[in-house]
Amino acid sequence: MEDKKKILLVDDEDGIQLLYREEFEDEGYLVDSAINGEEALKIFKDNPPDLVILDINMPGMNGIEVLRQMKEMNAELPIILSSAYQEYKEDFGTWASEEYIVKSANMDELKAAVHKYLD
Amino acid sequence: MPELRKDPILGRWIIIARERSKRPTDFVVETPASKGGFCPLCPGNEKTTPDEVLVYGRQSGMERNSSGWKLRVVPNKYPALVIEGEIDKQGEGLYDRMNGIGAHEVVIESPNHEDRFTFLPHDQMILTFRAFRDRIRDLSRDDRFSYVMVFKNYGKAAGASLEHSHSQLVALPILPRMLVTELEGSLSYYKYKDRCIFCDIIRQEIQQDIRLVCENDKFVTLAPFAPRTPFEMWIMPRRHHSSYINQDDASLSALTEIFSESLRRLDACIPGVPYNFVLHTQPLRSQPLDHFHWHFEIVPKLTSIAGFEWGTGFYINPMPPEDTCRYLREIEL
Repeated sequence: MEDKKKILLVDDEDGIQLLYREEFEDEGYLVDSAINGEEALKIFKDNPPDLVILDINMPGMNGIEVLRQMKEMNAELPIILSSAYQEYKEDFGTWASEEYIVKSANMDELKAAVHKYLD
Repeated sequence: MPELRKDPILGRWIIIARERSKRPTDFVVETPASKGGFCPLCPGNEKTTPDEVLVYGRQSGMERNSSGWKLRVVPNKYPALVIEGEIDKQGEGLYDRMNGIGAHEVVIESPNHEDRFTFLPHDQMILTFRAFRDRIRDLSRDDRFSYVMVFKNYGKAAGASLEHSHSQLVALPILPRMLVTELEGSLSYYKYKDRCIFCDIIRQEIQQDIRLVCENDKFVTLAPFAPRTPFEMWIMPRRHHSSYINQDDASLSALTEIFSESLRRLDACIPGVPYNFVLHTQPLRSQPLDHFHWHFEIVPKLTSIAGFEWGTGFYINPMPPEDTCRYLREIEL
């Protein structure tokens, strides 16, 4: 049986969690999820994913700080920042990510980025 | 009693609120602990940045975007303005619009993550000023651009989002409003007196010697007469030049010397103070201007801009520049 690639989805919004999980499981990926930075870092260490989709604006540790710590543990692992806000592009901390995608009802851009790094 | 002062170039009023008079030690500056972790600007992580557009210090024969550099300039990985395409100006009734064409570059001022711009040694700091000159020259060859804005945010409160020392250049298809106002104000003075207002300011400040922070044979640092914030400083060349990009290496060296001294004096007064500095230079498509004088403005982030400032355009400054100048000059470096 072919090993499924694993995505770690980090987002504090339930709706996004449900939508993304459904979409990416339908596409044949395994999806782990975390609702905050601390939980995400624990999963990242204990059960390393193949790719991370990371929200920025979350309570507690924000996504750019989570990104910095994940890249410190594994600089090669692809991380896609997914935010509702354009203005975080002004934060050069985002550069550590492979992609920065503004959330949209149309998931084509996000799906294309995931395929680019996992397929 | 508070005092209203008018900036002679911009016509901008500020309020010196003397009853709120302060000493440097009254300003509390938070210096957040280093976050550590992965830094995309550090040597070894060059692959996380876009392809470099300028590098100093890497030995010839070494691969592009490899380590071993002293300064790198790279485009913004996630830019707000994009380099490809045409400007395509359009009118929509009374409104104007154009495509978001521009270049946004980051100057990585040192390979060392812990370095702070204020305390860079001369040989390292001069590379930043050389990079500004060389990048503006290069970007000026693109006739879509009208101006290159050069600025630095130092410290989180001043907008710096990365600890690693860096500054920024943004090439714009339009002239920033602030520059237009400065050009108009200085031209108006020139038409009236047939002299550059900046040259006159330098002459008067040297003569009065109450707002002159430091000087060398090529530059002066002034506390401006109507500063927006306490400890605001302007660094100006003594000789009249409207464009930054015509400086030779001797001028860049003198600029580095006075910039370093001014920033170290500022830091000695208020350790770790966040600040912004901005280069003011002539538009890219302009001939040399008799009425405009390139300079840097250093603005410490010590006061906040609230409703009054937004509503009136007046800044409230609790320290007169004559006082801040005295504090800055008393520092023994």
